[in-house]
Amino acid sequence: MNNPLKMLDFTLLSPVTALVVTGLLLVIGESFLNGKNRSFLSIVGIVGCAAAMGFCWWVSTKLGQGKETLFSGMLVANKTSMFLTGLFSASTIFALLMGTAHQDAHNWKVGEYYGLMVLATSGMAILAMANDLVTVFIGIEAMSLAVYAMVASRRKDRKSAEGGLKYFLMGAFATGFLLYGMALLYGATGKTQLDDIGVQLAADPTSPIILVSVFMLIVAFGFKIAAFPFHMWTPDAYEGAPSPVTAYMAAAVKAAAVAGLMRIFLDTLGGDVIPFGRLGWTTIFGTLAAITMTVGNLGALAQQNIKRMLAYSSVSHAGVILVGIVATGVTPTGTGLTSVLYYLAAYSVTTMGAFAVIVYIGDTNRERVMLSDWHGFGAAHPLAAMAMTICLLSLGGMPPTAGFYGKFSVFRAALEAYDNQLLWLVVVGVINSMISIYYYLRIVTAMYFREPNGEFSPLKRSGVILAMVVATILVLQMGITPGCWLDIIGQ
Amino acid sequence: MPWLPVLLGLPALGAIGACFFPKSAESAVRAWTMFISLATFVFSVAMLKVFDFNDAGMQFVFDKAWIPGLNASFTLGVDGISLLLIILTTFLMPVIFLSSFSSITKKVKEFCVVMLFLQTGMIGAFLSLDIFLFYVFWEIMLIPMYLLIGIWGGKRRHYASIKFVLYTMVGSLLMLVAIFYLYAQHGNMTGEYTTKLSELLDINAMISPTAQIWCFAAFALAFAIKVPLFPLHTWLPDAHVEAPTVGSVVLAGVLLKLGIYGFIRFAMPLFPYGAAVLAPWIAWLSVIGIVYGAFVAFAQSDVKKLVAYSSVSHLGFCMLGLFSLTAIGIEGSIFAMVSHGLTTSGLFLAIGVVYERRHTRELSEFGGLWTKMPIFAGLFLICTFGSAGLPGMSGFIGEFLTILGTFISGDGFPASWPHYLNKPMLLAAIAATGVIFGAVYLLYMFQKMMLGPLDNEKNQDLKDINTRELFVFLPLVAMIFVMGVFPRPFLKIMEPSVKSFITDYKSKLEISTKVADEPKTFALRGQR
Repeated sequence: MNNPLKMLDFTLLSPVTALVVTGLLLVIGESFLNGKNRSFLSIVGIVGCAAAMGFCWWVSTKLGQGKETLFSGMLVANKTSMFLTGLFSASTIFALLMGTAHQDAHNWKVGEYYGLMVLATSGMAILAMANDLVTVFIGIEAMSLAVYAMVASRRKDRKSAEGGLKYFLMGAFATGFLLYGMALLYGATGKTQLDDIGVQLAADPTSPIILVSVFMLIVAFGFKIAAFPFHMWTPDAYEGAPSPVTAYMAAAVKAAAVAGLMRIFLDTLGGDVIPFGRLGWTTIFGTLAAITMTVGNLGALAQQNIKRMLAYSSVSHAGVILVGIVATGVTPTGTGLTSVLYYLAAYSVTTMGAFAVIVYIGDTNRERVMLSDWHGFGAAHPLAAMAMTICLLSLGGMPPTAGFYGKFSVFRAALEAYDNQLLWLVVVGVINSMISIYYYLRIVTAMYFREPNGEFSPLKRSGVILAMVVATILVLQMGITPGCWLDIIGQ
Repeated sequence: MPWLPVLLGLPALGAIGACFFPKSAESAVRAWTMFISLATFVFSVAMLKVFDFNDAGMQFVFDKAWIPGLNASFTLGVDGISLLLIILTTFLMPVIFLSSFSSITKKVKEFCVVMLFLQTGMIGAFLSLDIFLFYVFWEIMLIPMYLLIGIWGGKRRHYASIKFVLYTMVGSLLMLVAIFYLYAQHGNMTGEYTTKLSELLDINAMISPTAQIWCFAAFALAFAIKVPLFPLHTWLPDAHVEAPTVGSVVLAGVLLKLGIYGFIRFAMPLFPYGAAVLAPWIAWLSVIGIVYGAFVAFAQSDVKKLVAYSSVSHLGFCMLGLFSLTAIGIEGSIFAMVSHGLTTSGLFLAIGVVYERRHTRELSEFGGLWTKMPIFAGLFLICTFGSAGLPGMSGFIGEFLTILGTFISGDGFPASWPHYLNKPMLLAAIAATGVIFGAVYLLYMFQKMMLGPLDNEKNQDLKDINTRELFVFLPLVAMIFVMGVFPRPFLKIMEPSVKSFITDYKSKLEISTKVADEPKTFALRGQR
């Protein structure tokens, strides 16, 4: 506690610093440019995020397998947090690439978009590195407040405002739960640092206050990752938000929430600190995972709007991620954590690819998001349709894509749990994969098997095309040779 | 020479190459695909030169580490069983492409790409000796087939394509769970996680009997849907009827065989005890399928549906032979698969020829076509006879051997194991009636279409097949005869592999049965 600030702390903080500096530059730059040259802003943002990724890589190689706490134990830097920070930055780059073109086509020239997005990413980075209840809270709020505003950034659009408001109200409610849960945890242990709390809990894990606090935390994080029964906001917020923001929410925000959840539940309340099952959160999360997967997929079946469909699909993916987290909680081996991290990366890249195609197909002033808008897209624009198909197959978990290997490794980790206690969860998950294939294929069917309703006028902007191509190639590469990514995650 | 990667890579590179052809250059892309598929065929036949016919094990093995975290490897290899099926695949592909020149006229380039990808997937599935790799190829095949039905299919193609995918997915995903389980078990027992088949086979006898039954059931579901085994066959008529002719040929010719191949290569060796417990059930379902398929086929008015149901019946023979667990039965099963691949492909192609001329497949629309299309009628007759199992043609040998195998099943099994298929004589007798029914509906079909008076006005000016179509049929018809008259070389390719399969299986079963009996011995005796 009493070690003074060290130079090393700032070195390890460099990814966050890069993001914060970039975010502030963008906010200031916006006020000078006054919404005129937004592609410049987007380039600055991309460079900043790329720098942050570079710093992550650098710090990660510096740390090796080790772990370093910084700022008197407020933050922790290890391979996992660096990987996650890099992932968030990568998602941000994708969203920035799509942003300008989408703004031009759909007339929501909001310069704050860039600054807010990069600042939200810095919040995510803090969340991934958090080692104290306070930093967890700061990270989550820095991220969420920016995203609330981004959802509602298409001010003249009713759905955007509705989605933003809904997300904000529900989010504020969840924040209350989070704070209350943290307060109780602090009250029961007298500590705010996650490591200390873990040690304290290991000595006396049965206090009823802790059970209440665990319940509160489950509610809060369940909301953030859109798990059942806290997923109601997802379809509206995803539909209302401009597509690049939706992509950012589905990929980065969800991944960040999972990162926070892992910090609290795996490193503090479970993992190697407390042996399995003492606090019972794995059972609750296991049940929630099963219901979340099912509810998400059943909800998606009936959707005609592709963004709503992907919103429900993101709910079901949250369920799969929970399976991985439960598996890690039950048997704290490296496989579980690796599988969750890989799944997050695969899901983020795939979502970005799919939304890039949604942005690409979009007309001016009206997004082509209804299933019938996609009829005949395959014949008119074969490459973009192929990119979409690959991303959808990856979301559905078909080989040889990233999503397949992601799902495979999560389920495999679950089956390694002691005494096959998670077998039922795997069976539920696998049946859900089958259901999900149905609605993903509905989009493929619309693209390839139907006659077009009219002309397509895609957004042929370099940023969108670049995002689409890079994401699709990554989806295939991560599926065919996942080895190199496993090395980077390296547990 | 790395034979197998080249064999796998040829169609894959061909597919990628075909992407670069301009959209308008239809004949160029057709020529390219034709060239690639012929080259693959020649290459696969050339492998026979180097192949050691006396070696029962895997040959040309290619092994490379693939995913380090999972310990999955890129392991390819062939033995007599898979080589035969690979050659069937590569043999059918050029025939299919040649027939597609007239039947596929829209989106030709996409068609060629899809077909070459499909071929890559099929060959990959036959070659895989790593269970993870196999699963990847097994799933990859779904997508091109889905597109094939969905883009080039008939009126109800959306329904049929989705049904095909979902049906197959249900089975294969549960298989995936069993794969996970096996993987975890291997890790627990040996401390080393791997998906390599040869290493998974080392622990198969040690898996607990209950787990073996469940895992085998999961694998069997995946493969039985693909075969398809009664009552899981309902996707097949839809898929066949809605698929274009070429799609039906691939489906009947190769894809269905992958189901049976999956049983031989993975499900039965991995879970010998589970296979033995469930074998009587599967045998009975096969026999029901034989008779049921034949009856339903007889009731069809759509020719394509008739042939589709005949597949259900014929593949029942293959399943029955396989689960007789005798060398003769399994050889017969594999022989019948290859033969079915040739004869049914011939029938589907013949229906395609008629459909292109008349745009209908209703039996009542035809009659007396022989007078207008004599050459075609002759070729059609040979395919029909081949399918019906007339002696001297390929169908006969396969069906004969499978029934023979069923008859003698139960010989040479562990004494502790009850009589094998419960009632082998009865099963063989019912299956034999299937041969008769097969002749009934196939000859009925031929008579309705080709014989009798030519009384439909629309059939008056039908043209006989042209040279290209003749060359589609010639190789098939020739092979139907060759396999019927000289079955020996074909049996010889697979014989050592089948024999060693049976020996291994029985020894593993013996160990498993002992494990299964041990804790219960006293309780059972007490009850008796």
